[in-house]
Amino acid sequence: MDQFRPLVLGSLVTVFAIAVSSFPSPPEAQAIPAYARKYKVNCTVCHTRPPRLNTFGERFLENGYQMPGTEDGGIVGKKQLGDLTLDDVTNYLAFRLRGNFLRNFNFARKSPGPDVPGNPEDRTDFGWPETFQLFTGGTLTTNVGFFVDVTHDLPAGNTDIARGYFSLNNLGFHNLAHLRIGKFDPSAYSSFPLLRQQLDFVRPDVNSGVLDRIPLASNAFAAKFFGLFERDGTPIAPFRASLFHSPNEVGIDVHGRPFGDWFLYQVGILNGANETFGDSNNPKDWYVMVRLDQAESDLFSANISGFAYFGNNNAKVALNNSDVSWSQYGVSATVRYKMVDLYGAYVIDRVTDLPQALASGFDTTASGVTVEADVLATDRLLLSIRYDHLDAGGFLAQRKSNSLLALQAKYYLRTNIALFIRDDFNLRKAEGGVSPARNFRNAFLVGADLIF
Amino acid sequence: MLLRFHFLTVILVIGGLLVSNVHAIQTEPTPEIIARGKILYDRSCIFCHGVQGKGDGPAAFFGASYWAPRASDFTVGQYKFRSTASGKSHTDEDLFRIITNGVPGYMPPFVGWPEEDRWHVVSYVKTLHSTNSRHNEKPLETFQIGTQNVPLTVESIEQGRQVYFKFECDACHGHNARGDVPDFEAQDLKDNLGMPIRPTDLDLTNPYSFKNGAAAHDIFGTLMTGLIGTPMPSYADAFAQHEDDAWHLVHYILSLSQGSGP
Ligand code: HEC
Ligand code: HEC
Repeated sequence: MDQFRPLVLGSLVTVFAIAVSSFPSPPEAQAIPAYARKYKVNCTVCHTRPPRLNTFGERFLENGYQMPGTEDGGIVGKKQLGDLTLDDVTNYLAFRLRGNFLRNFNFARKSPGPDVPGNPEDRTDFGWPETFQLFTGGTLTTNVGFFVDVTHDLPAGNTDIARGYFSLNNLGFHNLAHLRIGKFDPSAYSSFPLLRQQLDFVRPDVNSGVLDRIPLASNAFAAKFFGLFERDGTPIAPFRASLFHSPNEVGIDVHGRPFGDWFLYQVGILNGANETFGDSNNPKDWYVMVRLDQAESDLFSANISGFAYFGNNNAKVALNNSDVSWSQYGVSATVRYKMVDLYGAYVIDRVTDLPQALASGFDTTASGVTVEADVLATDRLLLSIRYDHLDAGGFLAQRKSNSLLALQAKYYLRTNIALFIRDDFNLRKAEGGVSPARNFRNAFLVGADLIF
Repeated sequence: MLLRFHFLTVILVIGGLLVSNVHAIQTEPTPEIIARGKILYDRSCIFCHGVQGKGDGPAAFFGASYWAPRASDFTVGQYKFRSTASGKSHTDEDLFRIITNGVPGYMPPFVGWPEEDRWHVVSYVKTLHSTNSRHNEKPLETFQIGTQNVPLTVESIEQGRQVYFKFECDACHGHNARGDVPDFEAQDLKDNLGMPIRPTDLDLTNPYSFKNGAAAHDIFGTLMTGLIGTPMPSYADAFAQHEDDAWHLVHYILSLSQGSGP
């Protein structure tokens, strides 16, 4: 197997290089997913490259899918939703298919048993697509928008309304307050939204219920604690995105730029961490975020945001114990110059109200850093690098910190069709199979990302 | 003779005054209108066209990173999409039309804005022209599209096809007018910023990709005015004595999209 690996990788790189060099022409003008089709523009009008937004795209999103600075109801022609035709449906529907064709992992398996060091394993498998996402969104009328994202996770075999919300925009006066109600990603308007990064989430390896290898995800947004449970007893994986950076929580939030483009505020209230419909404990979680923007420079924009998320009896440390409160604080920032997009986040998580008996064995503070840079080397080639560091919290006996580096080259056949190769590696010494957080050595991935 | 000359001058001066008066109403709107235009511009246009209108907003380079078109530079005061003859100034309506319709592929349409707001932005955009370019502003010379006497017939389309090849439109737009030209790389077409530009962007068989309008008179206008700053030349001189040929050509281009126009 070990001799086999360089061969496989070598030939894949060659195939990729050939594919890349045989398409020297620029991406064609393509009207792609819903908004692009509706407005007859390329996705790059709003995105640096999907799913990242450029400064214009951010303002379009904030304004409830209306042109920034206006309350135009997203109108592009004479037709309105009242006489919706099949033709118009394509203005509201889009889908995305993505995943890795090939995954090669080098890590030490944990599955021989929870405390038996596993054997280093080099595993290669195929599989594409891993995620199918169908989304629809837009404006119903002036200042009323909606968004629904139905995600099918193929390996897990489940379909979920990942997000679905209504928005009421420009309440009071222009850009004073935009309201979202439903199931949404709280960090959407911050300087580094969870769902807008070029390096996609990579699933963990789970073998007969044992976590063999952690997922590859951004550490700043992770749960960070070893030994936390949801209130119903489900363990919370330390690498799962959570709280302010959860992909989907149910609640209401408001954001706006009442004083001009330089300042954005956001406040929100949620049922609680991982509480979907209904709220098993009455106390709510809430958060505030402020963001400062500079977008009035030549070919340059920058912004910084700071947030605080206050959890209220939203988790457990041990099943029979009373609830703890799990909160999150952090800063994130983005700098864009010409075709460089640099962004990062530093996030601290804290657990309070810990039962006295557990206090000595449990670290109540954890933190994570994620920094990513994307550069358009040519019109078709996007190079990305990401650094992740986790300073884990939770039970001292279990917790493991880690640091990872990921590199990716993404090649766009068209602005909506991309192939990528990616390599993630552990910056620390890999350990045996005892902890899935540190048994990881290297991952090599080849995949595709299509959006229509 | 002398008297007549003076008389003519007087007429011209008065006429000129009248015309420039009308012009003044268009080009020098009230400070309030410009202020309102600036607010709208700063909220919407700045991200691509930049604070001073130089086409260097923070999102400008992502639109077409290493290829044309970059967001337009308004300080030059010269516009690509015009209804006026090549080398002449634009009309306010030209700006209004682009703001309303956008540019397929690259700039979203602002048709959802109240008309008044679009006019306010036009007024503001004009204040961004550098003083230098304002000095050089040539008199308006709206292109006379005239009456179209050539009926749309199969023969006209066939004649248009011949004109297409006679004028070597295929050199840039391809044999099938879809822009795939075999030795395209060798041609090395660039716009005035030195950015590579492809007529592929423009599939003549797809009317949705037409930036300067896809109606018969729009295409006629494009042929006559050319697109300043790009390799697309003006054919006004070539068609000067053969306007019919231009209409045949327009019919041919329209026929390529088989009536699937907007
Ligand atoms: C997403 C980026 C983007 C936004 C936002 C945008 N534009 Fe543009 N605009 C462009 C690009 C790119 C071009 C050049 C298209 C070409 O040359 O083919 C352009 C061209 C134009 C032109 C035509 C220039 C010419 O030479 O004829 C005008 C006028 C214009 N824009 C005005 C505006 C105004 C006013 C706004 C705000 C209401 C605006 N634009 C918003 C990207 C944008
Ligand atoms: C030297 C190369 C060249 C030649 C010759 C040429 N074109 Fe073009 N043409 C272009 C380019 C480049 C563009 C795209 C400009 C842009 O996208 O900004 C274009 C654009 C156009 C457009 C579209 C304008 C719009 O609304 O988007 C039409 C129509 C057109 N050409 C027709 C013709 C016809 C007909 C001929 C022959 C009479 C011709 N062209 C000859 C290079 C050329």
